[in-house]
Amino acid sequence: MPLATPPAPQRLRTGARAAVTASGLWRAYGSGEAQVVALRDVSVAFASGAFTAIMGPSGSGKSTLMHCLAGLDTTDRGTVEIGGVSITGMGDKVLTKLRRDKIGFIFQQFNLLPTLTAEENILLPASIAGAKADPAWIHQIIATLDLQDRLSHKPTELSGGQQQRVACARALATRPEVVFADEPTGNLDTRSGTEVLRFLRKSVDDFGQTIVMVTHDPTAAAHADRVVFLADGQIVDDLQAPTADTVIDTMRGFENHAPIAGEAR
Amino acid sequence: MLRATLKGMAARKARLALTSLAVVLGSAFIAAALVLTASIQSTVDDLNGASYADAEVLVRPVEPETRGERLVREGVSAETLAAVEATEGVGDVSATVYWMINAIGDDGKVVGGFAPTLAVNWGDRSTDRDLREGRAPETDREVAVSAEFVTDAGLGLGDTVTAYSATTDKTEYAIVGVYGYPGDRDSLGGETELAFTTAEAQRLVFDGENVYSMIAVDAAEGADTDELLAAIQATVGAEAEALTREAYTAEMSAETAEATSMIGKFLLGFGLVAVFVSIFLIANTFTIVIAGRLKEIAMMRAIGAGRGQIVRSVLAEALLLGAIASVIGAAVGVAGGAVLTTVVADSLLTAGSSSLAIPPTAVIAALAVGIGVTVLSALVPAVRASKIPPVQAMRDAVKADKPITGLTATGVVVTLAGAAAMALGLTERLGSDDADLMAAAGGAGLVFIGVTLLTAWLSKPLVGALGLLWSWSFAGKLGRRNAGRNPRRTAVTAAALMIGVTLVTATATLLTSVKESLRDYYEDNVEAELFVSGPLTASVTPSFDPAVMDEIRAVDDVDAAVELYYDLADIDGTEQYVNTTTDFEGIIGLFGGEFAEGETTTLADDEIAVNRSAADQLGVGVGDTVTATFSRGEEPHEFTVTAILVDNENTDGWYVAPAYTEEFYTTKPTMALVDVADGGDVAAVTAAVDGILADEPEVSVLNHEEFTEQATVFLDYAIIAIQLLLGLAMVVAVIGVVNTLILSILERTRELGMLRAIGMTRGQTTRMVTVESVTIALFGAVLGIGVGLALGWGLQNALAERSIDVFAVPTPLILGYLVAAVLVGLLAAIAPAVRASRVDILSAIAYE
Repeated sequence: MPLATPPAPQRLRTGARAAVTASGLWRAYGSGEAQVVALRDVSVAFASGAFTAIMGPSGSGKSTLMHCLAGLDTTDRGTVEIGGVSITGMGDKVLTKLRRDKIGFIFQQFNLLPTLTAEENILLPASIAGAKADPAWIHQIIATLDLQDRLSHKPTELSGGQQQRVACARALATRPEVVFADEPTGNLDTRSGTEVLRFLRKSVDDFGQTIVMVTHDPTAAAHADRVVFLADGQIVDDLQAPTADTVIDTMRGFENHAPIAGEAR
Repeated sequence: MLRATLKGMAARKARLALTSLAVVLGSAFIAAALVLTASIQSTVDDLNGASYADAEVLVRPVEPETRGERLVREGVSAETLAAVEATEGVGDVSATVYWMINAIGDDGKVVGGFAPTLAVNWGDRSTDRDLREGRAPETDREVAVSAEFVTDAGLGLGDTVTAYSATTDKTEYAIVGVYGYPGDRDSLGGETELAFTTAEAQRLVFDGENVYSMIAVDAAEGADTDELLAAIQATVGAEAEALTREAYTAEMSAETAEATSMIGKFLLGFGLVAVFVSIFLIANTFTIVIAGRLKEIAMMRAIGAGRGQIVRSVLAEALLLGAIASVIGAAVGVAGGAVLTTVVADSLLTAGSSSLAIPPTAVIAALAVGIGVTVLSALVPAVRASKIPPVQAMRDAVKADKPITGLTATGVVVTLAGAAAMALGLTERLGSDDADLMAAAGGAGLVFIGVTLLTAWLSKPLVGALGLLWSWSFAGKLGRRNAGRNPRRTAVTAAALMIGVTLVTATATLLTSVKESLRDYYEDNVEAELFVSGPLTASVTPSFDPAVMDEIRAVDDVDAAVELYYDLADIDGTEQYVNTTTDFEGIIGLFGGEFAEGETTTLADDEIAVNRSAADQLGVGVGDTVTATFSRGEEPHEFTVTAILVDNENTDGWYVAPAYTEEFYTTKPTMALVDVADGGDVAAVTAAVDGILADEPEVSVLNHEEFTEQATVFLDYAIIAIQLLLGLAMVVAVIGVVNTLILSILERTRELGMLRAIGMTRGQTTRMVTVESVTIALFGAVLGIGVGLALGWGLQNALAERSIDVFAVPTPLILGYLVAAVLVGLLAAIAPAVRASRVDILSAIAYE
């Protein structure tokens, strides 16, 4: 996948407030012999207004980390804070509300509602909250994503790239504290994938959005300000201002000595 | 292949169990119907077998040519009784006098409604009567009563009871004894009984004539029954008829068989409706099951399974499911039939014991219908499954909805064909009654099937419109869109409820129209504001003392009050309704009658008036002579037709002078009309007449509304009975909706996970599923109400010529159906909604 990666300037805003913080996270599945430890004492902070990628091989625990950070999964030990509020131990109702108001999601499978039009899908989080979305903001996202002509289309009438752009718009529609993107380019062709990544990049640069993206694609990770490497449930490296090459090099480096753990979800 | 099928079934236990419930219900109803019918018959046979148990030969009056109530006049004379006693080979002889009478209970009302009150002569041998308290009646003012009478009338030993027949005045009797029947029963078949001295029984039943209703003959020692029968028949000649006890019992059984088969047919009808409805449910389940196994089936095809094998594997599953469900259904049905038999035997027959009969046909029919329907319903999904291309195994199952154009076109054609057939049949264009009926019924069936085919097409606009109800809530909006997502599935799911609601709506609409037509008719044609009459369900025609008429006429604001007597008489050899009144002109005026020929205001003793069609039936006109014999009349009378009335339901029949009331079966008036002066106080008149009728327990004063209610009370029973059908359809509908929702939720797990991930609460998820459920159920109900109203309207129009000329919508019932549909939706949503709200977000959005 030879893709021209833009030269990477120093984009980390040092001293920025942390949007999401994890401290001492442990997460294990199963019990006894069959127990798989997905996260072992993971502590990491994600700066507000930054684009961070989480990388790692299959089973490294990157998805588990993201699910724990997003309040979708519970932790065995350790705490997660979003916007300075600890979400650990929150009940389902409060967590649901938190996800609704403070978190945006972008999934690999787009996950748009087939019964709704593109515009209705974008407004979905606000609709669920029973709130009115900020029209100027929505207009701005739609314009940035070049979706003006597709608003009345149903997802089945959209290409994969268009669907994922709608999903991006949906994630940003409520101006969440943080957007979690789970392999957002995994189901897309290269061109569409790049479009999505460029938008994510732009939303960080222009709108100050915080984005945490799980990916196994070094090229995708290169769009981020920082890459956190996970292996066997632990953070093994932390790369600032990555390029595709530095990411690949880093991965090679720890793949040589880190054993590949079994499937962790 | 079979093993794969079995394993597959084991994995889908819950869904299959739900589906088979519908089959279980259907076959259970069928088995129960047959068991109940057979058991009631056998129970009643046992009861009948016990009457005249020690007689060999029975002698009864010859039935007259024209039956009806004239029958009661007949009796076997005392001379015949003496002759029978003197016949060779005759042992003990006993004579029975019995017929229906009225007795007034502790509450001042006539005892019994549907169940008759009988008078009998104490000491007869129609059955054994065991005195429980007191003694036998010895004088004409004493009576022994059955234990059932004590319960129903609230009167017991030492009390005084007022009793009277159609021909006698109210008489008071002292209750000197209370008796039961063999087997410690209070009653033989729900009736109440009063045992008088023979003379008093004859006074009540035969107006004092020394005749008997039945003579029971024992054979003398060593006498042959056949010879005895011949000898007795020779003795009694043409006056009476002799028959063996066995022949009599067989006759009674045949009579009760008619009644029991009615109950049986009713239950059988329920069973068939349940089975019909479950066809949709089963077909839907198999479609669902196959949809869930697309990849598996494609994989099997890819590794070499033939189309036939796929079809067979699905059918094998259906066969097994049908077999299990119908075995359970048959068992439940037999058990239910047994319980029902006990209930019916206890409540209707008050038989202490019932005899259970399980005809093999009950089990066979239940199994055959259950298995047959299941396999047939699975046929279409099975064939569809076999057409899945092997390549489907390799790619993600994309379920593009097949276009419903073909389905819709077929639906339109079938519906129109059905409507046309109905129209032809109902307007009687086909020449013969049978052909008309077939066309009408077949047409209705076609309309049904046609609309069922159209449901998929109708679901889009209708579900959309219904969903607007929930548009205030976002979860509701999503639920509504989900309901409209798969028109075929929504349609099939809603069909179960639609069918039930269509049936009940059509019936209720027709019956309500009949009622309204009648009410309108009275309103338009009857001058009188008030009626005096009694309930039609009474075993003895309600009547009252004509003396009250003068009191009623004396009430302020009463312009006119006219009483009416009626009899079922023999005129020129045919059975005809004959009326009389002391005020012929009054009755014709108040009922809005008109003369077609030969107007008259009074009738002389040899004059008769009649409506046009009755006159045409006998081929008589003004000036012609007819011969009439009344129920109690010994002699025929000749009458000259002096007037012909225009046909009018209220005045139809023959009219004679009041001189003949003594020869009528009911010698007292059965009805009266009261005309209140214009501007008069109807309420005050009603109250006054009510007071005058205080001593007339059989009748009351009614306005048009109440009179219509009383006249159409049997329609109310029919309406209630038909609602039970809806209950059954609702049960099946709930199962169907649950099935569909669970499938939809399985299919939409990822969606639900996403919604929950981006912040949809459990409550919202629950609401979304509930709205989908309620919308589907309401869709079925609305469709059913629509089709039902259309069918009802068609039927009413067809009957318009028979004076069902008002189309009335049973609004409260229809609102009830909508409420019922919402209930179905809510009930069906419970399990799926819980399931949806508990979707594990992580596994729902996980990929790979």
